[in-house]
Amino acid sequence: MPLKHYEHCCSTIQALASLGKIEGVIPLLHGPQPCSYQNQVGSMSCRPANLVTAGTLVNKSDVIFGGEAGLKQQVKNLYEKYHPRVIVIINTCIPQLIGEDIEGVIIELKQEIPDLKVSTCLTGFNYPRSMPLGSDAAWVAVIDTSEKQAKVPGSIGLIGRTGQDAGNLACLEMFFKKAEIPCFVFPTPHLDSMSSIVRAEKYYPIHITPWLTCRHLSEHFDGDVEFIEIPVGIQGTSNFLRAIAERQNSQKLHDLVDDEEKRVRPELEKIRARFAGEKVRMLMVDGPANEVSVGKIFAEFGAEVFVVPSMKNKFYQQEKKIMQERYGVTFIEEDFDLLGDIIDAVKPTAVSVEFQAQPECVSRLVPTFINMLYLCEYGYDYAIDLGTNFFKNMHRPVYETWQGLMKKYGG
Amino acid sequence: MADTKDFKMQELHTPSAFEGALWACLGIKGADTIFHSPPGCYINQHVNALVNDWTCELYSTNLSYAHIMQGAEDRMESTLKKIAAKKPGAIMIVTAPTVEVTRDDVEGVVKKVGSRDTLIIHPPIGGSLVEGKEAAFIKLLDLVDANVEKIPKSVNIIGPTFSTFNWRADVYELTRMLAGIGVTVNCVYTAGATIEQIKNAARAELNLCIYPFDSGMGVAREMEKRFGIPCKADIIPIGFGNSAAWLESVAAFFKIDAKKYLKECMANAFEFISSNMVFTVTFEMTAALSLENHNTYAVGISEFLNKEVGVSIVMAALSNPEAGSRIKKLCDNVLINATIEEKRDKFVETGPMVIYGNFYDKKVSMDAGFKNFIFSDIPTIGYLSSENCPFMGFMGAKYLVEGLVNEVYMGIFLETKGEMMGPISSGVVAWDMAAEQAMLKVGEMIPHFVRATALKKLHQESEKLAQERGTNVTVGIFREVSDKFTPTKFKAKFSQVFDDDTAPAPAIDAEDEEVPISSLTFTLSWDDAAKGMLELVPSPFRQAAVSGTEDYAREHGRSDVIGATVEEFRKELGM
Repeated sequence: MPLKHYEHCCSTIQALASLGKIEGVIPLLHGPQPCSYQNQVGSMSCRPANLVTAGTLVNKSDVIFGGEAGLKQQVKNLYEKYHPRVIVIINTCIPQLIGEDIEGVIIELKQEIPDLKVSTCLTGFNYPRSMPLGSDAAWVAVIDTSEKQAKVPGSIGLIGRTGQDAGNLACLEMFFKKAEIPCFVFPTPHLDSMSSIVRAEKYYPIHITPWLTCRHLSEHFDGDVEFIEIPVGIQGTSNFLRAIAERQNSQKLHDLVDDEEKRVRPELEKIRARFAGEKVRMLMVDGPANEVSVGKIFAEFGAEVFVVPSMKNKFYQQEKKIMQERYGVTFIEEDFDLLGDIIDAVKPTAVSVEFQAQPECVSRLVPTFINMLYLCEYGYDYAIDLGTNFFKNMHRPVYETWQGLMKKYGG
Repeated sequence: MADTKDFKMQELHTPSAFEGALWACLGIKGADTIFHSPPGCYINQHVNALVNDWTCELYSTNLSYAHIMQGAEDRMESTLKKIAAKKPGAIMIVTAPTVEVTRDDVEGVVKKVGSRDTLIIHPPIGGSLVEGKEAAFIKLLDLVDANVEKIPKSVNIIGPTFSTFNWRADVYELTRMLAGIGVTVNCVYTAGATIEQIKNAARAELNLCIYPFDSGMGVAREMEKRFGIPCKADIIPIGFGNSAAWLESVAAFFKIDAKKYLKECMANAFEFISSNMVFTVTFEMTAALSLENHNTYAVGISEFLNKEVGVSIVMAALSNPEAGSRIKKLCDNVLINATIEEKRDKFVETGPMVIYGNFYDKKVSMDAGFKNFIFSDIPTIGYLSSENCPFMGFMGAKYLVEGLVNEVYMGIFLETKGEMMGPISSGVVAWDMAAEQAMLKVGEMIPHFVRATALKKLHQESEKLAQERGTNVTVGIFREVSDKFTPTKFKAKFSQVFDDDTAPAPAIDAEDEEVPISSLTFTLSWDDAAKGMLELVPSPFRQAAVSGTEDYAREHGRSDVIGATVEEFRKELGM
């Protein structure tokens, strides 16, 4: 049993933050006050607007007598005040523990407010050690409110990871626009456009997290799901796009990929030369699943990459295999007590960790990147930007200054 | 008509030898200063000194035109007699420029009155601040008793004067550190010292010149000559490393073992810099320093921020060429005695996330859209400071970082946020492909610590504007929005993203280019009076003025801008 937990936060925050980025949706946090406070404060850094969390503040009597009545009232209050199209009840640990009948509340609400769609997702206990899956659970809840729509012939759907992807998938989407392949992306910043995902004929997840979302789409709205690989880095992006080009029989998309590769290849070679010279060992620990995706980019640059994964679902297994076979990436899936233990074992050049791990890493004078700040990592340009600025952003001279200072004065 | 193009404006923010002499004198407790001057000169000097410091006693001979023309010795005599009757510990007479023109015989008056411990300082017209300070410092040595016993392990801190930005806090912190290794401060030469301490300055075993690129080196050399007190000025105690090295050097002079104390200080410093909010923010931070009256700060802060916390120094403006050469090692843009216009242009060109400077820097940078600013130099026009926020020493290093992080991080962070409870849905808006591509490129230019949320804000604001105009999000709309809403100021970098034909963007870089009112982008309705007032705004700032005024109007619950709105906003800005 590990002594600490190095993920960014509870899956509840992830659900809250992701839903908080979708216009038309209000998340309602069903949980006690500490849960509300912590998740409210913790999600503040990544919520763009509607910064106040609506919650039920479950108290002791709710625990004893049931909090369903309070929950129902709060949904009504929210509806009256803001008239959202959808309210997603984020069902946290305490209501799960006492077995509250959330579905029953939703059925009652449907009868009382026919215009309002209410759904729910389970976080907290449900994903005790995989914060990013809070998004997956939230997306399923959003999809639950969608109606079946006619499929668009020849269309594809790109299924992203967190709310952060909403509005930030242009780096992939524009290829399909240029190649004239009908493309729906998910998530998007608006409920209407998000709901359009059900019109896609085929779903391509672009990250390892949305396994539940994809399964739900496939089961409830038809359409095959195929995980190709995460479209990050040069090769990863090309492979992803070419695979779709083949399935869609689109020479135009192939040509676009050819052009892009021609454009970025010289930059990639420069980056690879620098990485070869510096012999980088990157330790990627937990995170919003980008320990895998950003890890793959570093591996393509030629770094020796060690990944401590935040999840082990089916898509992860597929991506892991690709990364092991293509780049020889090492995956560390065993529990560890302290991050320092792994740092001592791996002796990395730099680590990519969550905020709370930063003091442990910097105090060891290991150059540290905060993984939560490296999102929307899809496509060619992100990788080139990351690689071009990697050594500058690492600030090794600052660490060397501190090494010298601590050696001289620190004892 | 004379060609005014070569007229330089830097004198506006550069004090003279007269300020230097007065500020060196005013900080001494128990001594009275007389400014032999017309009342206008006097009141300006007095008021402006009180803007930066707590209290001071300054008297005047209140000269009229007639006095000057006919000789003002009698005014001097009468004033001196009144002051001497108060029996101050010393009297310092500083002559004003008008008196320096007519060359009153002040020395003769002093001799006639026979007042003791009375010094006369004649600052040179056209002399620099440093020259004025050094003239006063050296003149004050006439009061110092050479025949005193040395106090073991004691130092003088040389250089602080009134109106030296933050001198009080620096002195407090350095005194605390020296006490930590068992060294006492005999005298601060001059700010905050008593006249008795000045007279006993020769009791110190060592002089520490703490602002060597600004003032104090001349008097330190003179003190070495007259009293045999050596001086240390080679290390500026700004930053953790240099604070430790400075203290270590003092300890070595006195043969004190400071290892334990330094270890404790550095352990605390290391714990501080290991915290979440330091490197995460500072590593992607860019700063500009505009410190013509605080060259020592410019050198110390730039070296500290760059070497110990990874801030990139994109520009430095100062007045001391020697300090400039040192900063050139880590900054490509070093300006010496630049005009305000030159500095403003450089701010815009280099796009720093934070600017350290004086009031004028704050104003011109704010007009150009910069929001994050840390006061670090005079003139301040109005600024309250105490012992609490040093820039020097260990506490100073921490304060510099926390000031930077708190100012910039929260500033940028809040800029990326929408409303606490905004509209739940504004509907779907289509994006042109060029706009999407531009957003990707702009994203790469935003620091990682706010990139994700900043992009979200740009996205939302672009859609809002597109909705208002009933169009897709075009690259023109995105350009407008990124110019207005991107955290702090990245316009210089943005120009790489947007092609010239993607206007309508404000022509901020084209200083001389006329920007007609009709070409500006308005998101609220403006009446003719309000638009007419924009004619008074220089071309490069017109779009920023529109944006700022509209923000002001919205904040005050208005949906349009009328002449009165512009007037209110202008007044609020103090214009």
